[in-house]
Amino acid sequence: MKTSFIELKGRERAQALLDNHTFNEILGPFDRVESPHLAAQGIVPESDDGLIIARGTLNGQDVVVLSIEGAFQGGGIGEVSGSKIAGTLERVLTDNQNGKKIIPVIIFDTGGVRLQEANYGLLIISEIQSAIVAIKNFVPVIGLIPGNVGCFGGMSITAALCSSLIMTETARFGLNGPEVIEQEAGIAEFNSRDRRLIWDTIGGAARYETGLIDRLVEDDTAAFRNAIIKAMTPGDGISRTRQIDHYLSLINAIDLSVKTSKEDAARLFKSEELLKTPILEDQPVAGKGRTWFQKLTGNATSISEYPSVLVADTDFEGEPTRFIAVVTNGANRFPRARHGEVGLQEGWAVAKYVRQAINEDAGLAIKRNIVAIIDTPSQAYGYQEELFGIHYSCAAGVDAYASARIAGHAVTGLIVGNAISGAFLTHGLQSSRLIAVNDPAINVQAMSKQSAARVTKRTIAELEEATQKVPAMAYDIRNFNSLGPLDALINLSSPEEPGDADVKTVVFELSKAIHAADGTLRHRLETPNAIAQGRVYSRLVRTKIAEQWS
Amino acid sequence: MESFSFTTPAKQAVLQRAHIGVVGSGDLEILLEPGNSGTTVFNVRTASEGFQETWKAVFERFSAQHDIDAVITINDFGATPGVVSLRLAQALEVANQTKN
Repeated sequence: MKTSFIELKGRERAQALLDNHTFNEILGPFDRVESPHLAAQGIVPESDDGLIIARGTLNGQDVVVLSIEGAFQGGGIGEVSGSKIAGTLERVLTDNQNGKKIIPVIIFDTGGVRLQEANYGLLIISEIQSAIVAIKNFVPVIGLIPGNVGCFGGMSITAALCSSLIMTETARFGLNGPEVIEQEAGIAEFNSRDRRLIWDTIGGAARYETGLIDRLVEDDTAAFRNAIIKAMTPGDGISRTRQIDHYLSLINAIDLSVKTSKEDAARLFKSEELLKTPILEDQPVAGKGRTWFQKLTGNATSISEYPSVLVADTDFEGEPTRFIAVVTNGANRFPRARHGEVGLQEGWAVAKYVRQAINEDAGLAIKRNIVAIIDTPSQAYGYQEELFGIHYSCAAGVDAYASARIAGHAVTGLIVGNAISGAFLTHGLQSSRLIAVNDPAINVQAMSKQSAARVTKRTIAELEEATQKVPAMAYDIRNFNSLGPLDALINLSSPEEPGDADVKTVVFELSKAIHAADGTLRHRLETPNAIAQGRVYSRLVRTKIAEQWS
Repeated sequence: MESFSFTTPAKQAVLQRAHIGVVGSGDLEILLEPGNSGTTVFNVRTASEGFQETWKAVFERFSAQHDIDAVITINDFGATPGVVSLRLAQALEVANQTKN
């Protein structure tokens, strides 16, 4: 007899997966570590912040199930719920490093970042992703997307990093939800009321047919358990985010003059004859990212095949350094990425050139520094983007930067312009150290104001009023700095047109940040701002998990 | 959001703590913990404002049927009185379950 898995609540799902009588919850409801940000905004919190950490065994193997409660705030990732995932995965990594095998299973039922705590969501999702990349060197990380909410936003990028993904037909999996694409790109790009279109683009069956997930199961608890047991076998699963050449040639082969159907997409995904060399036009548009790339590399010529991703190796303050910037190409092959967005091409291209540095420096004692110059308005919102898995493109960038850090490269992020959402996760947030220009024009956020207003059912004026009072939701770089992620907030005389003195200041601060890089993301939790007010609960959650972990 | 408390006298001890429900649409979360104050204390946070009298009626009815010395914490996301009564009964059942 079948027993529905989807119908179960988050805690019951964890119980149902584990072997009988082995369920042991960490940081459960009675520990009462709830979100400190929701009640302040008039929203009733939940005692576990919608995230269940369950230790136990599955088929006799030590596992920890991280179950997101989709019924609470749409499974949105806030400071506490996100830190429960990140903190647990950090323990899992330590245990595996010490020879204690424990496999993480993550149940994704989430719309992504919880908009009421957007800045925390974004930061912490990058911390979750960092842990997943590191754990995969030891054991598989298994992801489930059963539905009802599905898996969206920054958490779709997280899911794309898993060793193995298991879905049902009734779940949806994509970077941008249909409503947000319609909001950003118009109804002609994506009609959010067209159910058939939605399922054919981001539904479980479509994802399985195009090969972006590993297993499609029926809504049955036993089927999920069996699929997980298979996924625990060493060697199971494909590291899609490392098949960079394959996916880049696939993306080069997309015919953008038509709306590719699900069937044509599936054929293309399986085709062997793809385009190895991209045919690309370049129409450079001025911007802060491009300006700083030129200033810091001494006008070096980019070695990248993709005009929207600039890459150059230079001698920076006496050290080999690779600079990478995502910039605006007004003639980008993908219309939805013509304003400097991170689109299908950009994530994979960033990954390609980060991996190239890792591979070239593999045997060297001194690995080149990698600097991400950040000025990205957002990820690309579009139909083809979702169909061809833009979340995997973003995940490839995340995987590459995190892997570079783990391999011993100093990875540093320099925020000179906007740093938004999936684009920031892909290009910047995996940096050990982040520094930023103190420029009121800079926006740091998880979602544009227009979309955030629509999703939270507020006017833009109401949203702006709410965000000014809450650093967790604010859009400006100073509020972002108050959370503790920045090593330096650099004052310049002219952020728009930096002169020699401004460049000298940035070179000094960047050099300092590069030398401070320690290969992890831990430092963000240890800055004076983080300790004083910015990351109090992120730290508390980790301390409590450590106390209860055995 | 609105917060308030309600207290009724009580004598009987409960066996253990219990957790029920989620803070999801039309539902609520209940944390029931053994007390030692000779009362049933109901601490409520609710998304729906202006229904204190209704809550009071639900609690009075519950207390008339069940004498428990306990602290009951409720995080509510718009549950109807019927759902509240059902969840309270479930929480009490779990709290008084004898472990095998």
